[in-house]
Amino acid sequence: MPMEVDQPQTTTPRISAGDFVLIRMPSTNTKIVCMKPGTTISLGKFGSFKADNLIGQTFGATFEIQKDGKIIAQAPTAFDNADDTEANNKEINDDPTSQKMTFEQIEELKLKSIAGDVSAKEIIDSLTENNASFEKKTEYAKSKYIRRKERKFMKAFTPIEPTVFNLCGYFFEVNPGKIRGIRPDTLSQLLSLANVYSKARVLTVDDGQGLIAGSLLSRTTSEGMVFAMHDGDVSNYDVVRYMKLSPEDKERLRTLPWHRLDHEMTPFTEVLPENPTEKDISGYERRKRGHARLASNLETLRAGEFDALVISTNYNVVSVIKRLLPYVGGSRMVVVYSQSEETLIEAFDWMRHSPEFLNVQMTESWLREYQASCSAPSHVLPEDA
Amino acid sequence: MGMFHEYKTTISAGDTVIIYLTPDSMYPLTMTPGAVQNNKFGSFKHDDMIGSKFGTKMRSHTGRGFIYLLHPTPALWTQVVPHRTQILYLPDISFISSYLDLRPGKIMIESGTGSGSFSHSIARTIAPTGHLYTFEYHELRATTAKQEFEEHGLSDMITMEHRDVIANGFGKTDLADAVFLDLPAPWDAVKAAKEALRKDTIGRICCFSPCIEQVQRTAVALNEHGFSDIRMYECLAREHEVRSAPVPDIETAIGGEKVNFKMSKSDRNKKRKLEAGSAEPSGEESAKLPEVLVSKPTDITRGHTSYLTFAILAPVDQQ
Ligand SMILES: C[S@@+](CC[C@H](N)C(=O)[O-])C[C@H]1O[C@@H](n2cnc3c(N)ncnc32)[C@H](O)[C@@H]1O
Repeated sequence: MPMEVDQPQTTTPRISAGDFVLIRMPSTNTKIVCMKPGTTISLGKFGSFKADNLIGQTFGATFEIQKDGKIIAQAPTAFDNADDTEANNKEINDDPTSQKMTFEQIEELKLKSIAGDVSAKEIIDSLTENNASFEKKTEYAKSKYIRRKERKFMKAFTPIEPTVFNLCGYFFEVNPGKIRGIRPDTLSQLLSLANVYSKARVLTVDDGQGLIAGSLLSRTTSEGMVFAMHDGDVSNYDVVRYMKLSPEDKERLRTLPWHRLDHEMTPFTEVLPENPTEKDISGYERRKRGHARLASNLETLRAGEFDALVISTNYNVVSVIKRLLPYVGGSRMVVVYSQSEETLIEAFDWMRHSPEFLNVQMTESWLREYQASCSAPSHVLPEDA
Repeated sequence: MGMFHEYKTTISAGDTVIIYLTPDSMYPLTMTPGAVQNNKFGSFKHDDMIGSKFGTKMRSHTGRGFIYLLHPTPALWTQVVPHRTQILYLPDISFISSYLDLRPGKIMIESGTGSGSFSHSIARTIAPTGHLYTFEYHELRATTAKQEFEEHGLSDMITMEHRDVIANGFGKTDLADAVFLDLPAPWDAVKAAKEALRKDTIGRICCFSPCIEQVQRTAVALNEHGFSDIRMYECLAREHEVRSAPVPDIETAIGGEKVNFKMSKSDRNKKRKLEAGSAEPSGEESAKLPEVLVSKPTDITRGHTSYLTFAILAPVDQQ
């Protein structure tokens, strides 16, 4: 008998207040913004809109920006990044002499458009009407021309869900150093190889500002846990805050500074002074909580039997594994990511010769994106090349 | 309970254990009291395995060698699954899972089930609150997969239906967060996929096709049915080999010594030690040539190259 399943609780179908959202603009550039109620979100030359108008909408639709910061959902377009590099290029390249409008006239239209007095469609209509060669183009070339102009003048955007995959792609584009250069395909493999699942207790070292720690969180539930080792006194897992995780989910990220790894707890002995001020009390309470948290985290780590060890570190990999392996259960996965093979070779060789590990492998993920258009079946080209 | 979607510590009767001999020699074994397992390392009693811990290293009764009793995981299963069809391998499985944002609680539809290689990974990722509806029109494959899911403790998470999804659709409406199609003509199932996807939020689809003509037809169908953001990828993993290579100082050659660069490390050191004889003060030390670890990618990549076509379905509100 197939079981009837309740609607999942982990998926919030709509954009809600306080969410971070990736905003893809017609230029295909993407920026990350917070949906703070009452704020106005500016997309530069692509206009600005009120966050309140996007709250409650769905991800993935494309919205056109109206004059007053209102937004209207558009019919979907299949190929947002259709390329211009194909054989038909000669037809769609603008011949500057065929445009009857002057540079100044076009600039004026653009300014009006930014002010919201003229819509993108109106600009594009005047461009095509005044373009002597437009009517001679094939239908395919016409649509390409229009799409290119849209990308330039459309005041539209697409809100993209900050999934682990999309966030990884975003940071890889804008700031790869922050996430230690991990690509979405590589992160995907790391998550599968580590065998993360709802109840898994995962031990991790993530010196890439929490992208990995956060993705481990998103693949576990209240019965699982992510335990992260960090250098310094306080952790920096900035990427986690962009993920759509509940406060309870974020609670499941337990952290411990490396310099506490061998720490022996002593009882909390501090006493409040007589007639304590408010400040005394709050400081005392904070230190007491910190002490309790450290004790509990150390206890959790030392209970060991973690279900996976996932590492992306600036430190020597072998030294990290040696220190953490005692806390990992038997027949579990150890996965190490590095952007450069050189830092992994030593670890690979060491693991291969150690009786503690089986089936040691070193792999490199390889990804290629292709572009295809629905109208021209012969035009499938690799993205890079 | 638990197994493919949850670790357990001790092996019990009925469990699937991955028997590991070497990296190239692994196979699944169902623990059956009284049974005996023979392989090139000797014979092993299931009764000895039952009650031991996952990860145990076990010597054969004849003492010829060791096996390891590994805990099953979906990734290992993909390496040992009996092939009834072409299967998905880990690079694609991983990439699709995170592109489709699979995680606990998600509802997923898959067709065809084939050998169930991908189904195991999906179930592990969306368990325990999510659900996989998987469809296969080949009756024997459907029955075999259903039985495997049961043996692997996955039947709570997977509904296996014997059904032709092109002729009859999925029989599901407004339900799934994601759909995966690995069929010869995925474009014919796009309409049914649209119907099955949730209407209140973004839906995601992935179609797997070995040739680019199929990709084109799929893209056309997706476009016609209002899917957007159509993207195509090819995803592989290349394995790298590491070995230590001798890099002797040129003085070695100037001194007239011949180094055999092709010989294995231990043979080379043995030979040098022999040649050096007892005249050398510390034979062991001087026999070693300076070495560096070098790596190179292996040529062959597991699995055939295929294309992944992704798209999203964004509900546009009636306004
Ligand atoms: C390549 S296999 C899928 C392999 C699977 N992804 C795995 O990882 O093991 C394709 C399967 O689709 C099934 N199939 C083909 N057409 C179908 C249809 N119309 N309805 C249901 N299943 C179908 C085939 O019988 C075959 O088992």
